[in-house]
Amino acid sequence: MDFTFSPEHQALRRLVREFAENEVAPLAAEIDRKHQIPFETLRKLGEIGLLGVCFPQEYGGMGAGETGYCILMEELGRVCTSTATNVGAHIGIGAMAIHLDGNPEQKRKYLTPLARGEKIAAFGLTESNAGSDAANIRTRAVREGDSWILDGGKVYITNGGFADIVTVMAVTDPALGARGGVTAFIVEASWPGFKVAREEDKMGIRGTSTAELVFEELRVPHENVLGKVGEGFVTFMKSLDMGRLTLGAACLGGAQAALEMAVYWAKTRRQFGVELAHKQSVQWAIANIATEIEALRSLVYRVAWMVDTGQTGQEFTQLAAMCKMYGSEVASRAIDLALQIYGGLGVTRDFHIERAFRDARIAEIFEGTNEIQRIVIASNIFREYGVRIRP
Amino acid sequence: MRIAVVLGRVLDPRGIVVNRRAGRIFINREEYILQPADRCALEAALRIKDAASAEVVALPRTFLPDDDVLCQALATGADRAIYLTGGPLGADEALMARVLVAAIAKLGGADLILTGATTMDTGQSQLGPRLAEALNWPQVLNAWAVETADGAARAVVNAGAGYVQVEVDLPAVITLLPGALKPRYPRGTQLINIYRGVGEIAQALEQWPAADLVEEAALTPVVERRGQDFPPERERGVRLTGSPEEVARAAAEALRKRLPR
Repeated sequence: MDFTFSPEHQALRRLVREFAENEVAPLAAEIDRKHQIPFETLRKLGEIGLLGVCFPQEYGGMGAGETGYCILMEELGRVCTSTATNVGAHIGIGAMAIHLDGNPEQKRKYLTPLARGEKIAAFGLTESNAGSDAANIRTRAVREGDSWILDGGKVYITNGGFADIVTVMAVTDPALGARGGVTAFIVEASWPGFKVAREEDKMGIRGTSTAELVFEELRVPHENVLGKVGEGFVTFMKSLDMGRLTLGAACLGGAQAALEMAVYWAKTRRQFGVELAHKQSVQWAIANIATEIEALRSLVYRVAWMVDTGQTGQEFTQLAAMCKMYGSEVASRAIDLALQIYGGLGVTRDFHIERAFRDARIAEIFEGTNEIQRIVIASNIFREYGVRIRP
Repeated sequence: MRIAVVLGRVLDPRGIVVNRRAGRIFINREEYILQPADRCALEAALRIKDAASAEVVALPRTFLPDDDVLCQALATGADRAIYLTGGPLGADEALMARVLVAAIAKLGGADLILTGATTMDTGQSQLGPRLAEALNWPQVLNAWAVETADGAARAVVNAGAGYVQVEVDLPAVITLLPGALKPRYPRGTQLINIYRGVGEIAQALEQWPAADLVEEAALTPVVERRGQDFPPERERGVRLTGSPEEVARAAAEALRKRLPR
């Protein structure tokens, strides 16, 4: 058993950390305040290859594997949750669906420009009546010759307002539902019938686009069916598993940043004649959260190693759900602790904690609420003992 | 045109704590980065390469336990890198100047040598001048920018209160100040490939034993390290209070006292 990062992953972390500190961190407060997408940052990330960090080099990627992708998300999450979210929606679920189930021609046509950062991806799953109940989607796709006609819409789509390529899940056979009646499609945002209906004004991750998409007689060529007709639900669930792991990595970065801020203030702020660091209540809180962060780090990189070594079976699904659930909750606890140690200053906009506090909350909700993650985890555990949990 | 860039490494200052009272450096995270001034030298070389056709060859400024800085140079855009082995780790500038002169001769010569003006850890500034002396080439020290044209190099350097451009005939040695240029990032794919030893970039990293370049006696360090000390602590600043006029007057008075007459 060897827990050290390989030399290439150490070098990658150096690169990503430097990029994050020099290019991402200085803009984090501004994109939050102005509700702006960091397009220039995304362009630079693409230029040095980071928007294809985990994809194969033959399709324009860097080939650094899931471990490399987790490193990217951890370091971005450490300085700017919005940027990490943009990147996560692009790589971790939007382009990931094509990477996982696209055929060679689809990968050449779509994955390559996505991996190079020339185009940006989004992942179209959630609908107004199908959030946690993802199988309940209503967007309809009807076959017409060599095409499919899509009608319906999606909500809360990260990157939706500016993505060039959206992987969309639609019902192709209502009688079969999620088990054989749902298909994944690769959709180009420039096609007639694709509309961005609305941008959400959010409490946190304000440097991201969260959009409502409407499809009106949107004609999609049959060659853009992702995977097999009727198996879209599986494609999307596999993509979400990957996204949950790397969302956990981004949360790890956010939690680490909060710990660093908490330690900094604990050694700086003096009350009752001593620095806060000398107060046992502060020491114990720091010790507790630092332990949780280390546990999360071990979990995230162990699961990344599993992906890189081809172990993506049922255990992976369970562990990826743990990464997302535990990661988002550790990040929330760490940021809450940092805010408490900063006291009144923590809620002012002079420090980053207030933004981190607002940004962190969504991680317990998107890519499957933490309640859904607990169902996934419990289902897997009970299945091992022969009990099938009813939905 | 061939540009030799001489690069070294330094402990990432974010991973260390200097305790002056104990006279020790506490290493919390042993990670190394390229010497900032050397990285500017690499950036200057790559800008010359971008502007005109040039081959950029990276060499280490001392004997290193691994080829990490050279891998970074290749991933950033250097065409070749020579990892020198078999000498004393952390060898001094006098020894390294001898070895580097021999290495450059083995390369078939160079038109320009670029390196950092100073090291971040020990503040050494001798390597550039020693190379220029050994090669009998002109040197420009502490440059902010470099460009080449018509067999000459032009560099921007400080001159009192302003900047001047100086020109030297090639071949020459030029040292770059830390912070002189914004260095580019390594290319991700190249970074992965060089560390994995795959692809064309892996062929660009060569390993040369020092014993093939100089006689064994020349590998004996001139400088013996007996300990370390730290520069005196900086004086704490003074907070000025009062009306804006009073603060401005006090600041001007303080500056007047410090400025050379």
